[in-house]
Amino acid sequence: MATAVQTPEEAKGIRGRGSSALLTTALIFPAGLWYVLLLVAPLIIVTIFSFGNRAKNGGYEAAFTFDNYVRLLTQTQRMEPFFTSLWMAVAGTIGCLLVGLPLAYFIATRATRHKGLFILLLVIPFWTSFLIRTYAWLIVLGRENVGGFIGSLIGDADFRILGTPAAVLVGLVYGYLPLMVFPLYVTLERMDRTLVEASKDLGAGRWATFRQITLPIALPGLITGSILVFIPMMGEYVIPQILGYGRTFLVGNALVDAFIQTRNWPFGSAMAVLLILVMLITITFYVWFVNRGRHGREVSVL
Amino acid sequence: MADNLDDILRRAADTKVPRRSFLAAAGLLGGSAALAACSTGSTGGATTAPAASGAASAGASAGTDASAAPAGDVEKQLFMYNWSDYTSPKNIDAFKAKFGVEKFQYDTYANNEELLAKLQAGASGYDIAAPTAEYVPSMVEGGYIQKLDWSRIPNQKYINAAFKGLAWDPNDEYQLPKDFGTTGILYRSKVVKEPVTTWQEFYDLIVGKYSGKTVFVDSMGDIFVMPLKMLGKSINSVEPADLDAARDILLKLAPHILALDSDTYQDKLASEEAVLCLGWTGPIVELRENPDTADIAYSVPTDGTLFWLDTWVMLNDAPNPNAAYAFLNFIHEPEVQAEETNFNGYGTPNDEAKKFIDPEILNDPVFFPPEDAMANLEGAVDTSSNEQRIDIWQEFKSAIGG
Repeated sequence: MATAVQTPEEAKGIRGRGSSALLTTALIFPAGLWYVLLLVAPLIIVTIFSFGNRAKNGGYEAAFTFDNYVRLLTQTQRMEPFFTSLWMAVAGTIGCLLVGLPLAYFIATRATRHKGLFILLLVIPFWTSFLIRTYAWLIVLGRENVGGFIGSLIGDADFRILGTPAAVLVGLVYGYLPLMVFPLYVTLERMDRTLVEASKDLGAGRWATFRQITLPIALPGLITGSILVFIPMMGEYVIPQILGYGRTFLVGNALVDAFIQTRNWPFGSAMAVLLILVMLITITFYVWFVNRGRHGREVSVL
Repeated sequence: MADNLDDILRRAADTKVPRRSFLAAAGLLGGSAALAACSTGSTGGATTAPAASGAASAGASAGTDASAAPAGDVEKQLFMYNWSDYTSPKNIDAFKAKFGVEKFQYDTYANNEELLAKLQAGASGYDIAAPTAEYVPSMVEGGYIQKLDWSRIPNQKYINAAFKGLAWDPNDEYQLPKDFGTTGILYRSKVVKEPVTTWQEFYDLIVGKYSGKTVFVDSMGDIFVMPLKMLGKSINSVEPADLDAARDILLKLAPHILALDSDTYQDKLASEEAVLCLGWTGPIVELRENPDTADIAYSVPTDGTLFWLDTWVMLNDAPNPNAAYAFLNFIHEPEVQAEETNFNGYGTPNDEAKKFIDPEILNDPVFFPPEDAMANLEGAVDTSSNEQRIDIWQEFKSAIGG
């Protein structure tokens, strides 16, 4: 146990820490305020609303009832969008991974001189409106282009991509790909290339090297990227509306219906709370699963 | 070839958005240039509400002097909250010149809900707005709009009696009819040769010959019109038995529907991906102008359908009541009103204005339904709170994709 008497140096140190803590608080305050006002407060409001009633002319009326949740959880047609969203977001994340990992690996390790160019090419689409890019896919996938081409290959004149879950998936992967590529790129870029050479010197094949060296190093980026693309995909509204022809009915679309068409804010809020819970559970499970795998591998290396 | 990006972007940028388009609001998501351009004629998005000036003068003007003449002490400014491209810029300029109004702020909303939400949030700072009549009762109940002083809008006398004393405003206290339209059937007449004059005929074509080639607008109230009218019921029915029967019809239709789309259905009709559409008249004028799609036709089902009525209302805290009255009276000058019809492509309730409208437009069911169809029109009441309808709607939506 330390003595109660402070040496002058200790006192000075504490005071120093004290004023720097004050400074830290002052510096964090704007960000903290932002966080509380724009993240915590809306979450609380949504949660409170979810226990309310629909006012007579739409909107919110204070109450304390579990009706919204009961209705949500007991009616299959209400839960269906959640399941559709979940599998679309999982499939979209996997799609982003399949396209994004080779791309990030290529840019980080092979595109030596043109790195900047490739990064720029990835960023440029972000300068255009998301909506316009999505509209562009209407033409790319349309009957006069890719859709019609595939249709003529398989000899089915009525073949369509637009208005199917496949079109929505293409839109999702396209729209969120950069959010997967950048974190992966950052981790792969910093990778120590000598590790790969060492692995090869020690007789490991390409696949073994990838599995035991590259993948574990890329894992933090992979986790970050997956979460970054998974979350917005769960709440996606525009892509299923435009490329899915409103036929793929996701949570985002159900939310718009609740708030705009039926003006039932409490029910929409309950849906939003459930959506947040679904995402929390999915991501927690995912991170746990991936980290567990990594730990196991480290042990095996030892 | 209608189906290329240039065309779609040009259309998005140059032309009128369907009146009830929801994706116009989705421009918020992307900050889209094209959609921002859709609200041409506005001085900016709805976000530029003159809230500050409105809040400042809101209290002062609450009890306005009703005795002032229409063209009395007109303020130098007017704040209007309206659908995009819904009032002719020519008329706005003429109004400004006539009454010496210097600042005419035209802000836009994409749907009635957006308007309602703004009013619920408190002093909006606007003078006049143009909600659909079915939203007027909510606005009266919420205390957002004020009674109109008809002595200051003498041109009200031109309004056809059919648009007065309607359920939404039974004593004609709050709303000045602006224009109206119908929900009906759009079709490509060069492909669809069969008659589509009733909902039953439409149904048979959807599940039969043109399966997978029909678009429905993404709007609960409009979709229920079809099954309920096939059953001979009111479009506003909330009888459980009626709705159960309507559900059966909708679920039978679901697998044959190409898309639920309120925003780009004109593109699907233009490319002939869809040849039938349950929708609104908004995009027809534009489709006709293009030689490739000039065969677009519109049918108002004779077994009855929905008509909507958009109305001018004056907000409770209108900061410029005199300018507002001046405008409301001005806009129903017959010649001015005729220009409105020519501009926005919707039927006018103003009888006198018809004298100045092209006879071709007058005889066009897109603008003015024929007499026999007119007799079976029914105004929509707000039924969006009916749980059974909502459940059926959700089920229908999930069934379309499945």
